[in-house]
Amino acid sequence: MIFGDYNSSDLLWLGDWGPGWIVMLILLGALVIGISAYDLKGLKPTRRWTLVTLRALVYLVAVIMLLEPALDLKNISKVKNHVVVLVDSSASMSLKVDDGKSSRLERVQKDLPQFAALEEQSKEEHEFHYFSYGKAPTETAQSSLQDLQKITPTGQHSNLSEALQDIQSKFADRELGGVVLYSDGIDTGALGHRTKEGEPLDATSVSLLKELDAPINTFGAANKDEVKDIAITRILRDDFAFVHNKVSVDVEIQAIGLGEQLVPVTLTREGAPLQTREIQITQDETSYKVSFEFVPRQIGQEIYTVEVPELDGETLKDNNRDIFLLRIIRDKIRALQVVGRPSWDERFMRRLLKQNPNVDLISFFILRTNESLHNASNDELSLIPFPTRELFEQELGSFDLVIFQNFNYGPYSMKRYLPYIEQFIEKGGGFAMLGGDLSFASGGYDNTAIEAALPVELPPRTSKLIDMQSFRPELTEAGQRHPITQLAFDPATNAKIWKNLPEQRGTNIVRAAKKGSTVLATHPKLTANGEPMPVITIGAHGKGRVMAMTTDSSWRWSFESLKDGGTPREYQLFWHNAIRWLIKDPELKLVKLELAKDSGLPAQQVNLSVRVSNPDYSPAQNRDGELRIVRRVLPYQGAQQEKLAPPQVIAFKTNSAGVAEIPFTPEQQGVYELSAHVKSADSKEDLSDQRMLLIVPNSQEYQNILPRQDLLESIAKVSEGTYTDLAKGTVTPQFVEPRSVKVNRRKVVQLWDSALIFLLILLLLGVEWTLRRRWGRL
Amino acid sequence: MHNRRTFLIQSIRGLLAASAASSMLLDHTVAHAMGEEDALELGWLRLDKSEPLTRKTSLRRILQEVEKRTSIKVNAENNRVLLGKDIFDYPMLFLSGSGDFDPWSDEQIDLLRTWLQGGGVLVVDSSEGLDDGPFLRAARRELARIYPDKKPQKIPKNHVIYKSFYLIKNNPRGRLAPEVGMQGYFEQDRVPVILSSFDMMGAWSRDGFGQWEYEVEGGEIQREYAIRLGVNLVMYALCVNYKEDQVHIPFILKRRNWKVE
Repeated sequence: MIFGDYNSSDLLWLGDWGPGWIVMLILLGALVIGISAYDLKGLKPTRRWTLVTLRALVYLVAVIMLLEPALDLKNISKVKNHVVVLVDSSASMSLKVDDGKSSRLERVQKDLPQFAALEEQSKEEHEFHYFSYGKAPTETAQSSLQDLQKITPTGQHSNLSEALQDIQSKFADRELGGVVLYSDGIDTGALGHRTKEGEPLDATSVSLLKELDAPINTFGAANKDEVKDIAITRILRDDFAFVHNKVSVDVEIQAIGLGEQLVPVTLTREGAPLQTREIQITQDETSYKVSFEFVPRQIGQEIYTVEVPELDGETLKDNNRDIFLLRIIRDKIRALQVVGRPSWDERFMRRLLKQNPNVDLISFFILRTNESLHNASNDELSLIPFPTRELFEQELGSFDLVIFQNFNYGPYSMKRYLPYIEQFIEKGGGFAMLGGDLSFASGGYDNTAIEAALPVELPPRTSKLIDMQSFRPELTEAGQRHPITQLAFDPATNAKIWKNLPEQRGTNIVRAAKKGSTVLATHPKLTANGEPMPVITIGAHGKGRVMAMTTDSSWRWSFESLKDGGTPREYQLFWHNAIRWLIKDPELKLVKLELAKDSGLPAQQVNLSVRVSNPDYSPAQNRDGELRIVRRVLPYQGAQQEKLAPPQVIAFKTNSAGVAEIPFTPEQQGVYELSAHVKSADSKEDLSDQRMLLIVPNSQEYQNILPRQDLLESIAKVSEGTYTDLAKGTVTPQFVEPRSVKVNRRKVVQLWDSALIFLLILLLLGVEWTLRRRWGRL
Repeated sequence: MHNRRTFLIQSIRGLLAASAASSMLLDHTVAHAMGEEDALELGWLRLDKSEPLTRKTSLRRILQEVEKRTSIKVNAENNRVLLGKDIFDYPMLFLSGSGDFDPWSDEQIDLLRTWLQGGGVLVVDSSEGLDDGPFLRAARRELARIYPDKKPQKIPKNHVIYKSFYLIKNNPRGRLAPEVGMQGYFEQDRVPVILSSFDMMGAWSRDGFGQWEYEVEGGEIQREYAIRLGVNLVMYALCVNYKEDQVHIPFILKRRNWKVE
């Protein structure tokens, strides 16, 4: 100790002298000494240099006084740095080690008591903090040493990367003396994904660890030699597939410690085995891959399971399967275009359909009638018979949409097929009839099964069937909002577009729109039942949709509009919209049940909403409905049809936007069949939409249970910490000494402001004067 | 008797001539009625109003043949149209003639390009019988302004044009029968411009009494082939590659022998 309890000091110079002045003083001193030496050259060298030294000392002491020296006295103490003990509490830590005697976490918990002694030993240097990770996706949980010794391994998030980043942010303004990490090394986060087994850490991971600026002492809770397991680690697939198109599913499997054997891998659909592949597992390899290819036959959602059998001695059996939900959608719109005679209307429609990559088109045109001149043999003609039976009896069900374009069925003995077409619509098919002199009543469709399906009533053949005037269809109120006739988002722009479209040349006469159908556009002059005569009318028939367009010159919207700088866009948009509506494009459903995700975890809220539209696609406000929920067991847990009764019903009411947000938290695992039901505006029809929701336990933790000693070793190495395999014993972790100190007290003692220094100068001058006199100098 | 018959014949000829003259004076007329309007009309592209009229009945005659032989309903008028906005009333135009002609204006080129891109089909038929004659040279010169990156290609014998209604196995023929065949400018799935050097329209033309106006090199059989080619061209304009589908229909149906459950 110096100066009592001050344990540190620094010399200060209080004189306000700049460098220039100090140089001047040095030069002056040198000059004084030089002159003195010259002046005393007559003396003996001993006497001469004694006097010069005395004068130099006087000058030096005088200069020191001018510089005003002082002593800065301090009482200081070290500041403790922080040590973080981080324990992995994810579910993988529950796996057994020591021949099943304890779990990975229990092995860790046996090692934790050493920190009580460590805390005591280094209480002057380190402050200890205890955390666990695994419960939350990105956050660590603060704990205590006692609590860490009691936690259970139930977390579902082995995200070591996020845990380390969280520690870094929590101690961003504090000095870390070290981190102690207890884990099996499994990281579902960035570090684990980026660094494969046996590879060094990449630059980003190294940078992340360096940012902690502290050694990370890692303790491996298990090693590979202790694991016997086969697991479905990953299924590579798309979220959706196209019906009748091949789907590929790649499955990654990990097997370790199970010797050499042939293992079957089975793909099941809704619990029924679909395909099986075999893999030969060996001692040397741990990763395997199998691929399945299959063709879904049905539009909708299907549940698939991939599984391997449970093998003897496995550490864990829950990871022997994985389950996923596949949404199967329509690949292409299958359209049948039947045309009574080639025309420009047919030609532009065919071009539109052909150019749409989503449409698989089969056209059939009547190129010659019985009345045509037959002056060539069949060999000289490219004509083929009209395959009515194939098209309308055998293959009709394979189409999504049938278009009758100026086609009369009469000459082709087709009357018996008309009911098939009606049934096709009733079962959900789309049907459009376009005008022309062979269409509607002039095509002989009055009092037929087709008229029953059409959204308009046809006049008797004895009345006027066709009007020859040119006209521009006028949008009805429904037409201004309906997606078919919405050619621009802004209603005013849309109305303007319709007013400027080229005229239609003539129309078939219809008596009226049927009740329940929606008229989108009417004739500006003709009336039916006192109302403007419908020109574009849509409706429903059974589960299907129908459209009646009474003109045959919509092609002019594509071609004639070019005359004045227009584009074919309006024609294309109108018909694409119409086709989408006719085939019930899911985007155009009146009731849409929307789920943010197709699968989730138990006890987690699902974002679920029901969007309801009126037939004209305006939002259906304040509409009551109900969501029916039926839960059934997962396919591998029991019979597919086993329902876990009773169904749950949640009533809802739509808001001003026609949407009802429904909070729903599935508590248990299972397959949830959700269906939203709303009565149509006239309360006659039950509109609905269905979705399936898969709630499964989080299997991610068990998909890969191989301990990552290599990752823990790399983390320790990069951060200059140590790695310890707990299976082989333990060591005391090392931390860095605190780098910061704290000043408790401080005092400045001025050295120059003292009579002693003044007396010293006088003494030196007196000695010099005395010696000089004695040696004969004045 | 003879005088009276001569008088009657001359009177009829006079009426027909007056009728023809009136149709020359009137520009095209467009019927605005369903049943008539959805009937097929063809446009006869005229270079200018002073262009001498030859093969003036050819389009009417071929339309009549089309109506007789196929299910297509026609409006058998000679719709003469100058290269202006009126071309958008006719998705199929015929341009025939002989000799060089003046270049079209930039506006006319732009209009014709838009018309072709919008779906129009132009048949250029030379009366000269020369593939490299002044008329086709002039036509190619103008078409090169529309398709600067393309050159006319020979339409192969297996092209759908030759099977759109009749199966035409021989070289296409008109009034003349050169070996060169037809050429076209190809665009994606169709041929919007078809070039002929063998005077098809000459083979189609009849006078007011129904007599063929021009002799055909190969006789009446060749004329029949020329008419069949005309029918195929019209059918091609209306159905494009429909007959390509037809070949595949059994396969398509067989391929798709499933139903959406």
